[in-house]
Amino acid sequence: MTALEVGGHPAVVPVKELTVKGSAEPGTKGQWGRFSLLLVITVVVLIPIYVTLFLSIRPGSFSTSSSFFTLGNFSYIFASSDVLTWLVNSLGVTVVTVLISVAVAAPAGYVLSRGRSRAVAGYSLLLFIIQSLPIITAVIPLFILFAKIGLADNLIGLVIVYVGSTMSVATWMMAAYFDSIPHTLEEAAWVDGASVFGGFVRIILRNSLPGILSTAIFAFLVAWNDYLVALVFLKSSNVFTLPVGLQSFFQQNATDWGSVMAVSVVMLLPPTVLFAVLNKYFSVGGIGGSLAGR
Amino acid sequence: MATTTGLRRAATGVGVAGPGAPLHHGKNKQLSRGAITMVLLVAPSVVLLLLINAYPLIYAANQSLHKGSLIITGKFVGFANYTDVLTRPAFWQAARFTLIFTLVGVFGSWLIGLALALLLRTRIPGGTVFKVLLMLPWVVPIVVSSTAWNWLVATPSSPVPALAERLGFGQLLFLADPTLAAITVCVFKVWVSFPFMMLMTSAALASVDTTVYEAANMDGATKWQQLTQITLPIVSRSTYISWILMTIFCVNDFPTIFLLTGGGPVTATSSLVVLAYRTVFQDFQTGPGVAIAFLMTIVLVIISTVLYRQIRKGETA
Repeated sequence: MTALEVGGHPAVVPVKELTVKGSAEPGTKGQWGRFSLLLVITVVVLIPIYVTLFLSIRPGSFSTSSSFFTLGNFSYIFASSDVLTWLVNSLGVTVVTVLISVAVAAPAGYVLSRGRSRAVAGYSLLLFIIQSLPIITAVIPLFILFAKIGLADNLIGLVIVYVGSTMSVATWMMAAYFDSIPHTLEEAAWVDGASVFGGFVRIILRNSLPGILSTAIFAFLVAWNDYLVALVFLKSSNVFTLPVGLQSFFQQNATDWGSVMAVSVVMLLPPTVLFAVLNKYFSVGGIGGSLAGR
Repeated sequence: MATTTGLRRAATGVGVAGPGAPLHHGKNKQLSRGAITMVLLVAPSVVLLLLINAYPLIYAANQSLHKGSLIITGKFVGFANYTDVLTRPAFWQAARFTLIFTLVGVFGSWLIGLALALLLRTRIPGGTVFKVLLMLPWVVPIVVSSTAWNWLVATPSSPVPALAERLGFGQLLFLADPTLAAITVCVFKVWVSFPFMMLMTSAALASVDTTVYEAANMDGATKWQQLTQITLPIVSRSTYISWILMTIFCVNDFPTIFLLTGGGPVTATSSLVVLAYRTVFQDFQTGPGVAIAFLMTIVLVIISTVLYRQIRKGETA
């Protein structure tokens, strides 16, 4: 069973599964050699990340401080740019997207997991195809439509597009998780007189926290990291989310790397902290999907 | 979807029961009694799918058959936009770059991901910490990492070109020279994507029974033979699936390219997505732009249908 076969839905593989129990080469022969090799690779691979962190705490071109370490860039960007607005916009859009996406995907995933009809099977294939379509195909007409009804350059419009682009993968992820919950639990509840809906809420949802978390993380990453949709839809600085905000800030302050990197750090902290704390819920299907063409 | 026994077998084949196996009678009675509930549970998802995904797609299909701009849909022109696009050199250049970008992205990230997954499978002090750290290129938003890459390579005085010059490579303009810009974008894509491949490969390797290696060792197989004749064949299905997934990601990719080079210099790194974006939002040619997006869509639907079949094949096996 490979990752992607779990329940037949796109993969849901917790990172912790990567810690392999029996290794191909047991024993400690040459382990320090391999350690050194891995250390060198990791150090080189992470260069762009240290660059970001390091430049954000160095005195920027506007600061008079000569110390090695300063938080001046951060106080500068919050005082003299719209970073705080962008951060609030990003958080708001992301949280609302996550809530709607999970609220829609969980019941639909239950039907996908338990339903028995040709329509359900067809719907499952349709969701699968939708998630691989280039988002640009949907973005262009949505922009035209939203421009007519005043939802372009508007955060509500952005949430609608994000819900549309996360829903199909989110539904698959929830269905994959529900597949792993034995039917006997619901059946027992039905025998005790519970309705289908009651069984779903009381039995299935209550036992699905890890699945819900994986799905929520996936939706969070899509909404937090998206650049294309925000670039097309948002034109005014007061409704920018962090990705377009950072990009416009970068274009205006291309030489002030300290401030640019400070905005970058503000943007990378939430997903990185989320990953550090919840990495066992990060899943291949989720993150993979979240990067698909966005 | 020939079978009527529903999604759990038709679409996913989950469950061990084959066609014609006895059904859970209690379950079926209850589920058919709850049919209205089931419809209501899936309804919000269907409504949203129709409004946000299906309707724009139909609207776009219509748009691609008309003249017009972002604001006005002009007169019906049939497939003129498609023939127009298909005779543009820019389209074929973008198709070529998309192909190169995808091939390098898929196989580059797979080779590196595989090598790291094999290395991480062995006993290494602090292996778990390395695993989490190596995931970072994937976790950090592209907007952030592209900014850092920009700092590293953009101008002649940036660290990487400065270092290259000191090593005697002459002055390398990483983002201004067409060939070098294409290479830089592809390397950036590999840097972003290898953790995904590492995760996929590791998950597949975890399921390999280690006793086969003991047997192979007794037979005197070399490490290379063990890799090519045992390990890779065992994980081949998962590998194949991860290739197709990564192909979808690469063909769809917009920010990795656009944020680093904007599709430039001139159009050297314009992939099809970037070209579609530029055609609609910079040249204001809605019809041709949507036509480009649609031509990509057709290719991606074919790829994802193949993938779907692969996944299903795995369950029935």
